[in-house]
Amino acid sequence: MKLAGRIAYRIVMFALTIAFVTALWELYKIVGPQDGGKFFGVRILPRANDNAMPHVSTMLSRYSRPEVRGSDKKIWIVVLSGAWFSLRLSLVGFFLGTTIGISLAVLMARFNVIRRGLLPYLVMSQTVPLIALAPLVVSWGGKLEIGSFVWPRWLSASILGTFLAFFPIAVGTLRGLTSAPSAALELMESYAASWKQTLFKLRFPAAVPFMVPALKLGASGAVVGVVVAEISTGLKGGIGRLIIEYAREATGDPAKVFTAVFGAAALGLTMSGLVAFSDLFLMRNRPKETST
Amino acid sequence: MSAAANISAVEVFATSKIFNQESDKQVDALLDVNLTIQSGEFVSLIGPSGCGKSTLLRLIANLLEPTQGSIRVNNKTAAQARLDQDYGMAFQQAGLFDWRTVRKNIELPLELKGWDKDKREARAIEMLGLVKLEEFGNMYPWQLSGGMQQRVAIARALAAHPPLLLMDEPFGALDEMTREYMQGELLRICAETSTTVVFVTHSIPEAVYLSNRVVVMSPRPGRILEVIDVNLGSKRNEQTRAADGFFRSITTVREALRGTHAEHVAANAIRGAEDR
Repeated sequence: MKLAGRIAYRIVMFALTIAFVTALWELYKIVGPQDGGKFFGVRILPRANDNAMPHVSTMLSRYSRPEVRGSDKKIWIVVLSGAWFSLRLSLVGFFLGTTIGISLAVLMARFNVIRRGLLPYLVMSQTVPLIALAPLVVSWGGKLEIGSFVWPRWLSASILGTFLAFFPIAVGTLRGLTSAPSAALELMESYAASWKQTLFKLRFPAAVPFMVPALKLGASGAVVGVVVAEISTGLKGGIGRLIIEYAREATGDPAKVFTAVFGAAALGLTMSGLVAFSDLFLMRNRPKETST
Repeated sequence: MSAAANISAVEVFATSKIFNQESDKQVDALLDVNLTIQSGEFVSLIGPSGCGKSTLLRLIANLLEPTQGSIRVNNKTAAQARLDQDYGMAFQQAGLFDWRTVRKNIELPLELKGWDKDKREARAIEMLGLVKLEEFGNMYPWQLSGGMQQRVAIARALAAHPPLLLMDEPFGALDEMTREYMQGELLRICAETSTTVVFVTHSIPEAVYLSNRVVVMSPRPGRILEVIDVNLGSKRNEQTRAADGFFRSITTVREALRGTHAEHVAANAIRGAEDR
């Protein structure tokens, strides 16, 4: 089947890319300067020594050794459970971001006034540094009381994921909703279709090719938001926290921090992989030119 | 066909359309147009680019509001006729939805009208038969040729059995052979469904072959210069294209159009004998 072929193709390309990057890394370790290359006193080329750039094999084998000396907890279990924790927070953030992003896009597509008024603020919102925002969200959340609802600490991290996720989704969906050709809109008008009917029967289906890449960006945005929030609010249990903890041990155990970094990368890939899978499903009956 | 009844399907009274009125981008698209189309008639609008023939069609469809004058469709206001889906419309681009199967595309207007599933499906299958695409219902539009897509668009336009069909250069993007085949099919479909058609084109043979009357329009501001009766009978086929009457009508329409051209060049100075 065509769909299976496309999935196989993507998997093969992914494996080849990993192999290529691995080869590049090891090649640089052979030819690169051990203490980095300096030009006019500025270090431009990174150090190629084992402390800065451990061998790929060292990094991989580090997974099977304990997290701390003497512990019987293997590090891959720790990284995996950290990634799972962050994945759940990211999914919450992504879900909220998708809901907010699509709602905003529909409002902006419906009312020109809202689009003109809101869009500049949305763009501006993305220039606020996440690190500055994180403690604020935590303290706001702490003050929030709605009946018996108590704001859990992890929700602040999800909200920061939402903050990064909603923007590409809102912008991409808006672009998609307004992409319907004028002839198709005229056709719907000739049927005296309501705005809602046009939205669901024409605008949303026409928006799918624009929404899929936007959702991919949103998914990885949610991961970045959650990981950064874990670091800056000191939330325990996630992959972000593991990265800073392990980075402190970089001098003695340089491969350790990479295990957590790869965990974070795998997390991001899992999230956008989920979206890519829905892409294959949603676009299965579309002409091939428009699928990416 | 035109003698069937004297009920007017479309009445256009002293209608003008001006875009961007009172700005420096003002365009006088239509000027004082009067036109009555009887039920069952096939009327073509022909004229040079920018003569407002598509504008006139969109006014009838109530996709545009006239600046002056009034339009009645099916003895209702144009707005009411649109709300009642009294007409179907087909454009140069078939404009089928990529994400719907052929059958689901045909069902679209019925869905919007709130028909239930079984009734929709039955009608879609009936329409597929009408345009001779019975086996293609479950395919997607992009898997069909241009001519087949246009047939689906016609089926969609006629799905709700509207009494009036509005077509804006529907065969403009097709090759000559497909085009002639489609013209024959359109006549057959209209005869079977006794639909009134308003057809915008800039092909003279197409207008003559299809129409009971050809409306010749002038360049901007668009006005009706002449309405030419085409007396080729109600049964037309491939022999019609070789008949003397066919060529005579083509010449009449061509001369009427030339007149508009000469007039255009002379900037409304003289109306020569060419007009007649």
